[in-house]
This record gives sequence, C-alpha cells and structure tokens, in this order.
Amino acid sequence: MRYFADWIIENLEFTRAIPSEYVYLIIMVVGGLLLLLFVVPMAGALTFVERRVAGKMQSRIGPNRVGPQGIFQFVADGVKLILKEDIIPTAADRRLFKLAPYIVFVGSFLTFAALPFSQKLIAADLNIGILYIFAVSSMVVVGIIMSGWASNNNLSLLGGMRSAAQIISYEVPQILSVLAVILLTGTLGMQGTIKAQGWAPQHWFLFHNPFAFIAFFVFFISAVAECNRIPFDIPEAESELVSGYNTEYSGFRFGLFFLAEFANVYVISAVAVTLFLGGWNTPFYLPTGIWGLLPSAVNLAGLITFLIKTFVLVFVCMWLRWTLPRLRVDQLMTVGWKYMVPIAFFNLVGTAVWMLVWGDKSIAALLGG
Amino acid sequence: MRRYFLNIWEAISTIAKGMGVTLVHFTPARKSITIQYPDRTPVPVVETLPERSRGMLTFDPDVCDACSMCAMTCPIDCISIDRERVEGAKGFVLKRFDIDMAKCMYCGLCTEACPVKPKGLEHTREFEGATDRMEDLILEFIDEKKHRELVEKALKKAEKLKAAQNEE
Amino acid sequence: MQSFNIVVYVFAAIIVASAALVAFSRNLVYSAFALLFTFFGVAGIYVMLSADFLAAVQLLIYVGGILVLIIFAVMLTHRISDVEISNQSLRPAQGALILIGIMAVLLGVIFKTQWSLEGQLEYQATTALIGDLLLKKYLLPFEIVSVLLLAALMGAAVIVRKEVRGEQSGGKS
Repeated sequence: MRYFADWIIENLEFTRAIPSEYVYLIIMVVGGLLLLLFVVPMAGALTFVERRVAGKMQSRIGPNRVGPQGIFQFVADGVKLILKEDIIPTAADRRLFKLAPYIVFVGSFLTFAALPFSQKLIAADLNIGILYIFAVSSMVVVGIIMSGWASNNNLSLLGGMRSAAQIISYEVPQILSVLAVILLTGTLGMQGTIKAQGWAPQHWFLFHNPFAFIAFFVFFISAVAECNRIPFDIPEAESELVSGYNTEYSGFRFGLFFLAEFANVYVISAVAVTLFLGGWNTPFYLPTGIWGLLPSAVNLAGLITFLIKTFVLVFVCMWLRWTLPRLRVDQLMTVGWKYMVPIAFFNLVGTAVWMLVWGDKSIAALLGG
Repeated sequence: MRRYFLNIWEAISTIAKGMGVTLVHFTPARKSITIQYPDRTPVPVVETLPERSRGMLTFDPDVCDACSMCAMTCPIDCISIDRERVEGAKGFVLKRFDIDMAKCMYCGLCTEACPVKPKGLEHTREFEGATDRMEDLILEFIDEKKHRELVEKALKKAEKLKAAQNEE
Repeated sequence: MQSFNIVVYVFAAIIVASAALVAFSRNLVYSAFALLFTFFGVAGIYVMLSADFLAAVQLLIYVGGILVLIIFAVMLTHRISDVEISNQSLRPAQGALILIGIMAVLLGVIFKTQWSLEGQLEYQATTALIGDLLLKKYLLPFEIVSVLLLAALMGAAVIVRKEVRGEQSGGKS
C-alpha cells in the first residue's frame, strides 16, 4: 500500500497540497474499503461454492436455480438475511448481544490487512506479518464467548465456552508449526517469506525438508480447528448444541458470523499458501502497467497464481468438511494437546537441527547441488 | 507408545481413504442422482409411470352410450350422470357427466365397468391435478354445445339405421 | 508530528474510557469485556512507539490468553450478578490524603522524566533485537521465567489431577 501511496503522490499533482500523512490516511481508508469489497462478496460466493461442492460430493446437485447455474444464490441469501426480522431475546444482554458479531467479524477482517495478493499488492507489509495475523485473530475468541454469554441460553454459553477452549488450545500447535517455517526464513514478514521460496514446487517450503512437510499438515489441521470447521465444529453443530453460540442470532447478525467464518477459511488458506506453497511466485511476469490502470510493478500472473492456490486450499477445506464426521469435544482436546502439540514441537526441534547441519538448504538444493 | 503411532497412522490412512471416496464423487465419474422435478426432468414425469397406472380419469363422450354403469359401480358415488331419451333415437343421450376427482379413490372399478370398446372412461397416467379450489376438481365433460352435438349424432344414427332398414 | 499526537491521544482516550468502564461498571461481565478495548488501546500505543513485536504479543497474550481467562472466571462464578459489593468502612479523609500523596508522587515522576521522543522516533523492526537481547544479555532471567512457567503448568496439572484421583479410587493413571 505504501507503494501505491507513493505512486499516487508522485503522479497526481493535487495530492501534494495536503501533507503526505493525510494522503496515506485516505489511501489506507480506501484500501480498507476495497478489501471489504473483496471480502464480503468472496465470502458470500464461497458459501455458494461450498453448497455446490457439497452437492457434487453427495451425488446430488446443489442450488442451481437462482441465476445461471445458481451463482446468484448467495445474493438471494444475503438479501433474505438482511430483510429478516431482528430478534433479540428479552432476557438477553442487549449491549453484548449486539456487540458480539461485530467483534467476531472485525477480528476476522483485520487479518486481511497483512495478506499478500501479489508482489506489490498487500495492504500493509508488516515486518511482524504472521504474528500480527495470529494476534488479531485471537479477538475472535472474545467475541464468541460474548455471544455465548449474551444469548442467555445455557446451550449457547456451553457452545461459546467450548469454542473458546478449542480455539485457544489449537493456537498453540498452529503457531509452533509456523515457527518451523519462520526459522527457515528468518523473518516474520509475509512478502519476505514468499520471496524466500521459488516458483517451482521443489523450492516451496512444503518440500524443503521433511519437518516442514509435517508442519504444513499440523498447521492446516490446527487452522481448520481455529475456524470451527468440521471435523472440529462441536461449538456450532446443529445436531449438538442447536447451533451453539449463534443460536439466538437472526438476520444480518447471523450473516456476520457466517461471513466471518468463511473469511477465516480464506485467511488460513492464504496463510498456508504464503508459508508453505510458494505464494505468488511465478516463472514469468505479467505487468499491468500496460493498461495504465495500475502501476507497472503489479504482477497479474502473481495475483492469479496466489488466488488459484488459495482457492485450491479452500476447496481442500470443503473437501475435508464433507468427508469427515465430527469429533467429540474430548477427542478434539486429545488431538490438540496430545498429538498436535508434541508433533509441532518435534517439527520445531527437527527444523532447528536441520538448519544446524545444512543451513537453510532445501532437499532440492542438496540433491541438485 | 506403539498405540500412539498406530493411532496416527490409522488416522492418516482412514482420512486419506475417505477423502479419496469423496474426490471420486466430485469427478464426472459419478453423476448426481437428483431429478430436477418439475421442469428439468430427462423425460416427462408422466412417462416414467407404468402404462396401466391409475391416474386421473378421462372420458370420451362420443363413444359413451350413457349406460351409467360407471356411476352405479363407483363405491363413492363421485360420477354424476344425467341422461335423457331423445324422440326418434334409440338409447340415451348424455346431458351431464361430472366426475368429482376430490372424492375419487382411483380404484378403477368404473373403468372396468364401462362396456364400450374402446373404453369411454379410462385412467391416464396424469397425477399432477392439484388445483387452487375444491370446485375446480369437479370435471364436467358435457356442456350445452356438446349435448346438442350428441343429440344430433343420435338422431343421425337413428336415421341411418332407419334408411338401412328401409332398403332391406 | 501533529498527526502522531492526534493518534496517540485517540488511543489514550480509548484506554481511559474503557478502563473507566472496567472500574466503574455495575455489571462485572461488562467490566471484563471492556478490558478488551483497553488492551487494544495499549497495543495501539505500543505500535506508535515502534514496539511492533510487543504490540502483537500484547494482543496474543493479553487478549487471547489473559482476557479469556478473566472472562471464564467471571462467567463461571456462581450468580456473580447478585454479588453486592459494599464496604462498610468509609473514611473519606484518610482516603483523600493517601490519594493526594500517590498523585503527587506520580505527577512528580511524570514531569521530571525526560521523555526522549521529540522527533527521534525511528521505526525499526524490533523482533530480531528482542530475540538477540533475550538470548544474549538477558539469558538468565529468560531461563528463570521459563522454569517459572513450567512450574505453574505442572502445578495446574497436579491440582486438577488430585481432584480426579480423590473421586475415583484406584483410577487409571
């Protein structure tokens, strides 16, 4: 974003009248709005894609009536949710009830600020990129507990507590497995991590060393648990807790929870692509400056590669959802603490030993010479 | 300890098998078994029913000789027949033939009782007969115009018969 | 540094307002949830002071760990909204004296300190520096803290296990 801000200040004369800080501020706000414009339709479209994929995997057709092949289904759903009556239970805590969906959505949406899309397309290339993403997504826990409590419904409270316990339990293996990759790059920044990988699969961190390979799976499983997706969706399962912490929510408040969940799925896929699957690296370069729309340093090929890889991982998330049954809450905790955490520690130590012996050379570099 | 690693291996292998099955379902190798009723079915739905299915009733007034066997056979009395004798013609002519499909139980006794060949009263395979009002379910087959047609036909038939007899 | 001041004041206002909510709210659950905004404000101040790693860790640990712990404790306390907090001893004179004394000390410290931020703020990545310091200069305190955390973890496990052991006689280990 700073790159765009500098480019705009350079090329548009009138922006020099105001001090550059305010130009940055305005550009940041515009960037935030653009991100919102990207996230909300994408999360909505993902709900539609999920239903079609679910249908195909279950030998049936998903929604296919609204629009050609049903692609406007999510628009119809969104409009329906907005037009529904906003019911707040009488005994519920009004202020917390109203505040909770916003905290969950904000916690989910703030992570988009550090997600890379292409070489120069990143809202904020923080040098604590990954840490920022994990730090901000811990706000979701508080929002979920708040919604569970404010509903004044003992099943919702139970769902909220279970969800909070699940999320904070799985944050540990998630961050530990990411540490293995951070050791390899030496930087927490997102663009730096992508630059340390190449475009060919053997140069990705996934195939860098066997510990990073295992770390990918540990990260992916922990991240799926973070999102409350099946197989870890005890807190919001319909047959378990009557939809847990979002039971009492109707209309657009429920829509916000839903959007936050799908935005989260995109975020974890994007983070996994950045850390393990090579990000936006491409063998060739497709500049967009030729159309005069964007500065020529924006690489369209990188953008498309990143989006394709992310949506492949999102598809894997959905694939997992429609394959596996749900884990019981004690099984969930067992998997988290007794399996994921030791394996993540093992990865960390293994990666450190690898770096001691071979530096940061990947298997491909060692074999290829 | 061994159990621990066995658990991990079991988890990985069973998840992989399960995901393989779902992936096979995702490819075109498995077609979806949904029938998109009512407008996108591969064949019209009525044609998927067997030939002799007892659907809604249909009536051909031109072959009917107003014997009213069907009305007498119906266990629910859903067929209402008004018939009259026309001077100069043999037999009856139908004035009113109503079937109340709301009462009909699709037993088929009326169709078996009909003596003419080809059958005047027959079951079709049609089953989508839901209407907005109960009154619409009473099928009325004879109106004024049809009644006059039938009367003329009967008279013509009687004349032809008389002409054929006179020739002998 | 005008915009810098504005942003710092905004964050300070957030901190003070939500801390006031924490301290003065009648409803304990509201107090617990208002801490969220206080912690966010503090993280914002850290960012303005170029302590990026500290801000992220503040969010991760305080919001993700400590706040969740406090909220669990508040929510799982039986009938917490019925607790009448009333102190019988109300001595305004002595209270005011102590208050003035503490305020004098605090204000004296605030005005005497050299706040060395006049235009000298450079934004640099602090993660590597912190890691360096933790493992070179402050290694001993770092190791002692980790031993302390280990002791706390073991203590929690022991406390929980003892209860279960007491209920089942000869249960499985």
